[in-house]
Amino acid sequence: MDNQTITPRQFMFLVILFTVGSSILIVPGPLAAQAKQDAWLSIILSILIGLLLILFYDHMTKLMEGKTFVQATIMVFGNWFGRFLLFFYLSFLFILAALVLRNIGDFMTTEIIPETPLQFTHILFLIVVIWGAYLGLEVMGRSAEIFMPWVFLLLIFFTITLVPQIKIENLQPFLGEGVMPVLSTSTLALGTPLLEMVVFLMILPYVKDAQPKRKAWVLGVLIGGFILTVITLLCLLVLGSDLAALNTFPSYRLAQKINIAGFLEGLEVVIGIIWMLTIFFKMVVLYYCVTVGIAQFLTMDDHRPLLLPLGMGIIVLSIIAYPDVAYFETFVATTWFPYALTHGFLLPALVWIGLLIKKKRSG
Amino acid sequence: MIVMKRGIFFKVSAAALCLLLLTGCWNSKDLDKLGIVVAMGIDKTDDDQYLLVTQVINPSEIATEAPTTRPPVSTYSTTGETIFEAFRKLASESSRDMYLAQLRLLVIGEDLAEEGMMSSLDLFYRDHQFRTAFYVAVARDTDVNTLLSILTPYEKIPANKLMSAIEAVEQSHGSSKGVRIDELISQIRNKGQNPVITGLLKEGPSDTGNNITNIENIDAPSNLTIDHLGVLKDDRLVGWLDDEASRGYNYILGNVKSSVVTHPCTDGTASIEILRTQSNMDAVFKGGEPSIAIELDVEGNVGELDCPIDLGEADSLKDLNKETEKEIKRLMETSIQISQDDYGIDIFGFGSVIHRKNPKYWKTVEDDWDTHFKELDVDIQVKAELRRKGNSTQPIKKEG
Repeated sequence: MDNQTITPRQFMFLVILFTVGSSILIVPGPLAAQAKQDAWLSIILSILIGLLLILFYDHMTKLMEGKTFVQATIMVFGNWFGRFLLFFYLSFLFILAALVLRNIGDFMTTEIIPETPLQFTHILFLIVVIWGAYLGLEVMGRSAEIFMPWVFLLLIFFTITLVPQIKIENLQPFLGEGVMPVLSTSTLALGTPLLEMVVFLMILPYVKDAQPKRKAWVLGVLIGGFILTVITLLCLLVLGSDLAALNTFPSYRLAQKINIAGFLEGLEVVIGIIWMLTIFFKMVVLYYCVTVGIAQFLTMDDHRPLLLPLGMGIIVLSIIAYPDVAYFETFVATTWFPYALTHGFLLPALVWIGLLIKKKRSG
Repeated sequence: MIVMKRGIFFKVSAAALCLLLLTGCWNSKDLDKLGIVVAMGIDKTDDDQYLLVTQVINPSEIATEAPTTRPPVSTYSTTGETIFEAFRKLASESSRDMYLAQLRLLVIGEDLAEEGMMSSLDLFYRDHQFRTAFYVAVARDTDVNTLLSILTPYEKIPANKLMSAIEAVEQSHGSSKGVRIDELISQIRNKGQNPVITGLLKEGPSDTGNNITNIENIDAPSNLTIDHLGVLKDDRLVGWLDDEASRGYNYILGNVKSSVVTHPCTDGTASIEILRTQSNMDAVFKGGEPSIAIELDVEGNVGELDCPIDLGEADSLKDLNKETEKEIKRLMETSIQISQDDYGIDIFGFGSVIHRKNPKYWKTVEDDWDTHFKELDVDIQVKAELRRKGNSTQPIKKEG
C-alpha cells in the first residue's frame, strides 16, 4: 500500500523464512512415516517441482505489470467475477494464517507450556504479528534481514551439535521400499510450503528492481528447501525413520537429544527460537497480504483499519479450525494438498490465462 | 490507532502491558515447591496394578554445608491402574510438585520385564517433561522398592551413583551397557534387532540399605552394583548373558571403548589393556543365503604380565597379539552361541544389517527372522595390535 518497497535481498530472506516456518514442525514426521528412510529424497523432489511453480508465478508477475494479484484479477475478470475468484484466494490465505497460528499454539502447548490455554499463546503471538503488519512491508523486510543471521547461526549450531549422534545406517537401505512412497509423499512438502508461496504474488510488485527478482525468489526457495532437507535428514540420521514418525514434533525431539560432553544439554528451548522466528515471519507475511488483499478488494486506501478486526477473526478461527491434533494430522495428510493445489495453482492459472488473452487483445 | 503516537502515553502503556504480560509462566512453579525426581521404578503388584516408586532429592541435604542426619533422598511408592494415575496419586504422599526433567534412571521390576515392558514405557516417551537422556535398567533378583531405597556410599544421590556406574562399566570394562529410553523403544519396534538391557543388583542384606547407618560404615554393608546384560525378546525379558557373553556382545557391536583381556600364557597369565576397538559388520550373500562377517580391529598395550617370555624379542608382542585375538574371538563366539542356541534371539542386529544390504531378501524372512537367525553363519575376524609394553621392558618376574 503506501508505496513501501523492499529490496530483492530482503525478499529472498522473507521467502527463506516462509519456506522453513511451520513446515519445520509438520513436515518431517508424516514424511518419515510414509517414505521411511527415503523421506529426504521426497523433500528434494518437492523442491524441484516447486521451482517450476516459482517460475510460473514469476512469469505471472511480469504479466501483472506492477499490480498485485488482487488488482490484476479485478482488472482481468471485472468487478464481479474477479471479486468472486478473489473471495476464494483471500479465504485461502486467511485460513492458512489461522492454521499457522494454531501450529505454533499446538507446539507451545504440547512441548513447553501445556497448562496455558491456547488462546493466550495465540493472542500474544498475534499482537506482535499485527504490529509487524501495521508497520508495513519495509519493516518486515528489514527485520527479516536482522533475524536471518540468528536463524542461520542457530541452525548451524543445531546441525554441528548433532553430528556426533549421526548413524549413517539409518538411511539404508537406499530406496528399500521402492520409488513409489517417495513420489507419493512429495505432495506433502509441495502442499506445505511450496503451494503456499502463492501469497507472494501480493508482495512481488513491491520488490524493487525488475531484474534480480526471479533470482531472489529461486534462491530463497532453494535455501529454504535446503534447510528443510537438512532438518529432515537429521531427524532420520539421529532418530531413525521409525522414531521420527512416532514423534509429534521430531525436530524438537532432535533438539532435546543435543548433548555435548554431558554439560551442554537441555538446549531445546534455545533451538526453539528458530521455530518461533520462522513462524513469526510466515505469519506476518500471510497476515499482511490478507489485510492488504482485502483492502484492495474493498478499494480502501489503507489496510491498517482492518488489522485489529481481522485479528479477532483469526483468533477465533484458529481455535475452531480443527478440534484436536489427530484431526489436523489427517487434514494435513489428505485434505491440504488438493486444497492448496486448487488455490495455489489452478486459481492463479486461470488468472494467468486471462492475463495472456488480455495481453494479446491489447496487442 | 492511537497507540502508535509515540508520546508519553504510548510508552507508559507499553511498559504497563509488558509488566502484566512478561511476569512469567501461566503456571509458574517456584523451585522450593518442586520435588526433583532422579529415579523412578515401576513394577506390577499382586492385584495387577502398577507400582510406581519415585526417588526424590532432599535439596536441603544436598546443598547444605552442615548436613543433618536426614537421608539425601526420599522414596515414595504409589499404585494405580496406569503409571500416570500412580504418579498423580503421589500428591497425597508428597508435599511437592514433581519435576521430571532431571530423571536419571528408570528401573523396571523383573516381573514386569518378563511380562513385557512396552506398554509401561509409553508415558515416559509421551509426557513432555521427560527428556530422552535417562537410562532404563532391570532390577535383578530384588524388588524395585528395595533397590531404590538403598543409600549409597561416596555418592550422595543413589540415582547419580547408578548412572555414573553404568557409564563407568561401559567405558572401562565393557561387561554391561547403558540403554537409553529412545534406543530401547526403537529396538523393540525394530524387527531386525532385539534389545538388551542393563541389570542392577543389590549386594548385602536387605534390611540395612535404606538406613542412614548404611553409609556410616567404611565398607557399606548394602550397595548397588551393575550387572550384565538382560536379553529381551521384543519387550519381554527372557534371560541374562553372563560376564563373558556380555563382553562378547559389546565387542561385536563395537561398543567397547576400553577393556581388559586376560589369557593364559606359558606358566602364568597376561592381561592386555584394550585402548580402542573398531568393529565392522557386513552381510555376505552366497547362493542367495546370507551370512554375517564381523571384522574387529583392536588396539592395546601390555597391561600386566605374569609369564616368563622375553619381551626383548621382536616377535614377542606378535604372540601376545595372537593370544588376544583368540581370546576376544572366543568371547564373541560365546555370545553368539548363547543367543543362537539358548535364546534364539537376534540381539546383535544382524537382521538389520541384512535389511540394509538386501531389502528384497529381508522382506521374505522378516516375519520369522528368529528362526533364520538360529541357522545363520557368522564369520569373525579379529585383528589385535599391541603397540607398547608400559614402563617395564621385561616381565618383572625373573626367569629361573
